[in-house]
Amino acid sequence: MSFERRAAVGVMAARLSRRVVLGTTLGAAVGVAAGAVPLRVGSKLDIESALLAQTMMLALAAKGVPTADRLRLGTTQIVRSALLAGEIDLYPEYTGNGAFFFHQDADPVWKSAQAGYARVRDLDKPNGIVWLQPADASNAWAIALCGDVAAANSLATMEDFARWVRLGGNVRLAASAEFVQSPAALPAFEATYGFKLRDQQLLVLAGGETSAMMRAAAEGISNINAAMVYTTDGAIDALSLVVMQDTKTAQIVYAPAPVIREAALAHCPVVPAILSPVFGCVSIAVLRALNERIQVEGQSVQQVAREFLTAKGLAG
Amino acid sequence: MSDVSTSPRWNPVQTLLLVVAVAGAASLAIVAHAKNRLLSGAPIGLWSAVHLSDATLPVVLFGGAGVVLAIVPLLRRPTLYWLAPPAAGGVIAGLSWIAGRCADALAASSPAMARTSLGAGYWIVVVCALLAAADAVSRLRLRALPSLLAGTVALLPLAALIAIGVTDQLSIMREYDGQRDAFLAALLRHIELVAGAVIPAALIGIPLGIAAHRRAHVRRIVFPSLNILQTIPSLAMFGLLLAPLSRLAEAMPALGRIGISGVGPAPAVIALVLYALLPIVRNTAAGLAGVPASVLDAARGMGMSRRQSLWQVEVPLALPLVLAGLRIAVVQAVGLASVAALIGAGGLGAIMFQGLFADALDLVLLGAIPVVLLATVVDGLLKALAAASQPRAA
Repeated sequence: MSFERRAAVGVMAARLSRRVVLGTTLGAAVGVAAGAVPLRVGSKLDIESALLAQTMMLALAAKGVPTADRLRLGTTQIVRSALLAGEIDLYPEYTGNGAFFFHQDADPVWKSAQAGYARVRDLDKPNGIVWLQPADASNAWAIALCGDVAAANSLATMEDFARWVRLGGNVRLAASAEFVQSPAALPAFEATYGFKLRDQQLLVLAGGETSAMMRAAAEGISNINAAMVYTTDGAIDALSLVVMQDTKTAQIVYAPAPVIREAALAHCPVVPAILSPVFGCVSIAVLRALNERIQVEGQSVQQVAREFLTAKGLAG
Repeated sequence: MSDVSTSPRWNPVQTLLLVVAVAGAASLAIVAHAKNRLLSGAPIGLWSAVHLSDATLPVVLFGGAGVVLAIVPLLRRPTLYWLAPPAAGGVIAGLSWIAGRCADALAASSPAMARTSLGAGYWIVVVCALLAAADAVSRLRLRALPSLLAGTVALLPLAALIAIGVTDQLSIMREYDGQRDAFLAALLRHIELVAGAVIPAALIGIPLGIAAHRRAHVRRIVFPSLNILQTIPSLAMFGLLLAPLSRLAEAMPALGRIGISGVGPAPAVIALVLYALLPIVRNTAAGLAGVPASVLDAARGMGMSRRQSLWQVEVPLALPLVLAGLRIAVVQAVGLASVAALIGAGGLGAIMFQGLFADALDLVLLGAIPVVLLATVVDGLLKALAAASQPRAA
């Protein structure tokens, strides 16, 4: 299998080197940094992935790098296979997903932003995949409480939450089966902060789609007052939910980073210089605000991405 | 077309629809007003909505057309059934107009993020009105094409209201506004996916059906294989096609240049072709098997060769069933093409999934309603075609 994959990558590289030759000639002719062969930018289906990919495309286009739109290609698995198979050239991925790509989710290395990035970068090198500098943000799993409940019990951090639960706080958490069972998720919170949710305090849903859980917590459906969330979700403020701060970093860090095929990078070496200032501007607060404009206000991904780059002076 | 008795006095279907529509309109929300796109809205019932909309014409249109639609089935003259589709159109347009004006009024007095969505009461009335019109039309025993036209008449007034912007402040139209460019592209891509799947499926399926009819060993292989294919979940099928197609495109770059790759429309179209084969092949074979032996005897008696008998006698007689198979295949493909958005093939499914990911139900509807309309229109058109192909009584 690994031989087959290497062989496939070899064929791909050979094909790409042909494109590079063609690209550089044309590039030289029109005087741009990159070749005329567009970089195919992919993304997963969710809003944040599409937003990051769209921002990457616009930033590259602003610097004269031609791109091709492969946004909202599919689930993580499909986009990752597409990258490995050379169907796309780059897409935004989270450093923490390395834990699952390489089946190392029990390793504490992923809880450190820097060490986790270094680990996934090294592990993916043999696949011909390059992880560029990630943003200083993490779209990690968290527990959010209904605003009224958080205010009434003055809860702001996971330590507060754990103390409240230990003292018999009336919590009912909606979460996915994965969040409840994966050792990296709820069990990691429970072990780190010293609390234990009973079965009656959990409402387990099959899918990982948090929107329904968050709405349930916000509106008190089925007595739910807490939900699993992703920390950069744009709906958190609109639904008046309060995220419990993970002060002891119990969770894996999911820092978004551009991931590019080595061959495509060789063909277009200016990509890191263009994308590094873009991802340098991205933080949890920035992502949450941008996601909110799409999720809550219903603005288009293109518009939000364009205005973000203009505001940061990166629109060319 | 239904075979219900023509006695026009008491019609249980129409009575049931009337009761459901009145109960729905009276007890459930016509519109719901929420602080933003994600929260559930506060329900606004029919009376508050009428008050809020503050205009007489829409209310008169809704009420008047409603009365006509309720009375038509009680009348003794079946020709008056023709009034049902325009009356349904009036009911739908009147209620949409009321809802649209409500949304205008609410938008004027609340922040830009607030949303007015259509409520359960609205949808119940619309569906009941359409069903009542369909029931009346079916009693006219029309052919397929006039039935389709009658359906169009029922939706035309609403289309006109949407076109002049009366409904612009409703949440679903605000979603459309956000997707304006993407929507048309998605609709066209959806049609491309369906056409790109059903045309090759017909070109493969009809000859395969003929072969299966004529040779038992072909039948023994083809039918079980197609049955198994049909049971593979669509998402799994798309996933299964990813790896082999990627390899193929690697091995033959020429294929890659014409768009064959592991993600995007290529695997979607291939999967849709595979799903479309079963109804086409089955119905072709069944249509041919249904040709009476006496007719075949007569053809042979007239000195026709096997080939002549096939093309001049059997295929024309089997044609209505073949077209029915094609119709099933197309309607099925219209629905299945929505799932193709999960492998980057685009289409209306892409809008639906965007809505699901953002938990924006109106965005889901914006993708789903055109799929339903598309399936209905294609179904009607192919029914008309099948009716036209029906051999005339000699």
